[in-house]
Amino acid sequence: MSGALLVAVLRNPASASRLTPGDWNGLIAASRAERLIGTLAVRLAGVSVPASVEPILADARDEAAREARQALWEADRAAAALAGTGIPVILLKGTAYAAAGLRAGEGRFIGDLDILVPRDRLDDVEAAILTAGWEWVKPDPYDDDYYRRWMHELPPMIHKERDRMIDIHHTILPLTARQTPDAATMMADAVRLDNGLYILSPEDRVCHAAAHLFADGDLAGGLRNLWDIHCLLTECRSMPALTARAAQHGLTKAVARATRLANALYREDRSGLTAFDHLFVARLLARDGWGRETRKLLRFAFFVRSHWLRMPPIMLARHLWTKWRKGHRPA
Amino acid sequence: MKHQVMLRIGPASFRVGSAWPQPIVDLARLYAAYPQPEDGIADFTVRLEPTRPWRRFIRPSVFIGGDHMLADAAPMALAHGLLAAEMGMNMQMALGWRRHLLLHASCVEKDGRALVMTGESGSGKSTLAAQLGERGWRLMGDEFALLDPSTGQIFAFPRLVSLKNQAIAVMQGEAPAERFGPLMRDTPKGDIRHLVPNRSAVTRMDEGTIPALLLFPRFGFAPEVREVGQGEAFMRLTQASTNYVTLGERGFTALTRFVTDIPARAIDFSSGDEAIAMIDRLWETLA
Amino acid sequence: MAQDQYRAEPASDYILRSLDDVTLVYHRRSGQTHIVVSPVPEILAALTGDISSTAEIVARLSHDYDLGDPHDALAAVQTHLDEMVALGLAHVA
Repeated sequence: MSGALLVAVLRNPASASRLTPGDWNGLIAASRAERLIGTLAVRLAGVSVPASVEPILADARDEAAREARQALWEADRAAAALAGTGIPVILLKGTAYAAAGLRAGEGRFIGDLDILVPRDRLDDVEAAILTAGWEWVKPDPYDDDYYRRWMHELPPMIHKERDRMIDIHHTILPLTARQTPDAATMMADAVRLDNGLYILSPEDRVCHAAAHLFADGDLAGGLRNLWDIHCLLTECRSMPALTARAAQHGLTKAVARATRLANALYREDRSGLTAFDHLFVARLLARDGWGRETRKLLRFAFFVRSHWLRMPPIMLARHLWTKWRKGHRPA
Repeated sequence: MKHQVMLRIGPASFRVGSAWPQPIVDLARLYAAYPQPEDGIADFTVRLEPTRPWRRFIRPSVFIGGDHMLADAAPMALAHGLLAAEMGMNMQMALGWRRHLLLHASCVEKDGRALVMTGESGSGKSTLAAQLGERGWRLMGDEFALLDPSTGQIFAFPRLVSLKNQAIAVMQGEAPAERFGPLMRDTPKGDIRHLVPNRSAVTRMDEGTIPALLLFPRFGFAPEVREVGQGEAFMRLTQASTNYVTLGERGFTALTRFVTDIPARAIDFSSGDEAIAMIDRLWETLA
Repeated sequence: MAQDQYRAEPASDYILRSLDDVTLVYHRRSGQTHIVVSPVPEILAALTGDISSTAEIVARLSHDYDLGDPHDALAAVQTHLDEMVALGLAHVA
């Protein structure tokens, strides 16, 4: 299984020197599918690999460098757009890791710009961002209403000239989620970077990543998110500090599970894995030698579960019904 | 996957897997003269899979997957499996290739210099290149021309030539029957038939060439030649490149050098022979 | 806005290339290519090195170019400056 191979090579890059051509084909396909090829390429820099693999890895490193440059530019533009409001721009996820030069950012695929702003200043932020050339992605009244009532972020916006998306978060998790991490505290303790932008404190970075790992989507991209967490854990001041912070946000379970999973995958430390954790690991490693996801039933179970976490059951039924009527089906 | 084939086209190598045998049998036959990937490791993976497990047998429908894919790519009928495989490989190049600036252009070579032709589909660039490829030029590609940022040379990507509708009959008059693939009727693009590039196109696929002339052909108009300024050429080529933005500064440097060094003309034409005569004249005076 | 002071993006952050009919600006930080015509390259040159107001830029440009009516020139240069700020080629100091 290529998911397991990918994790093994990320953990121990030197092991790549023993791979067969078949292994390499599977590893490259799986790392692309998991959006981890840039990270893999950075980890494999300096390791001796077959001649045909070298340019593939060099391309991936180039692409990651370009991603980072592009992401920092989007952050710069968002900061310029919000300069007049006096609201600090707190970067989240990939852009934050790239801006601060964190280990989790090395080779990382980034994508959209995620920023966190105070909920009571949302109207000002929205107005400033729209003035600066971003526009709503989908003018769908159901989706828009759904986002505004229940989500932790504004509906996605895209810049009309640069074609890049921005996600403006105002809370940490959807308002329907059972845990309610304290966004105000996270903002108050954010760390200022040299360029005037902010990122979350080391412990809050782990809390935020862990909250999203289990609350978002169907664990798709989970290997990448757990790699982030694996890297972010090394930057925490201490494990007790992290535990205390997680408790403060009501994220004790999520942070503990994320830590166990990251350790199991990337440190080969499987101590304390629960039966349910083993299911998570199986789901996370579900990739075959062609980069395809396997274990479809398990995937569907996680899709339903992830919605269950975010929304009380009646709302979930209503949401799925509305989606299915419009032809969107999970599977 | 159950059925698979590996092959190399110019600098790029592919591993194609399929849930059904036929697309792989067709690919293996048509690409028989092409080399294998170095070390048995491919740059890209392409997958032809059923949209749902049971759709492997019932009204089989091919979903084109792989390392790089578009979320909203519509599935194709299994009878068009070969076309699906070709589209899958093109998709990898368009979205994933970054060792050259990728120009959506056809390209032929003579005396060590390349003629690059770009235009929308229907412009005739593909058929013209296929015809020239049978008339003393070396076919370098009917879909992509690869511009090397470090040397300024064009590299070949001589995949199967994809002939559409009337172009099929035109090329049947130029190339022997054994070089043609199966006729696929009523594909989303109309009738499609693939043509295997000739021997020299395949054996010389690794030779780079200095570009000498850029043409913007347009089929279906009265014959006319128009000069194209460097700014217009630059703008049209950025629009004809899927990876100009991805390449960043390397792409900028390569493309500005290309448009400042190479003369560009737009040519309108109403028949292949007319276009070839115009190209011969322009090649004499400009290249 | 007339009192705003401007500075150019550092010259190391962009590449200028003149083609026969237009000028290209490749901006490294954004990875964007801008196709510009006069007077944008001239304004960029007039801004380089100094923090300047719009009026100072117009004064500097009128040394080398005939700008016509000074009021119109000021308005035109201001429009270009606003666009350049939006693209990241110039910054409000």
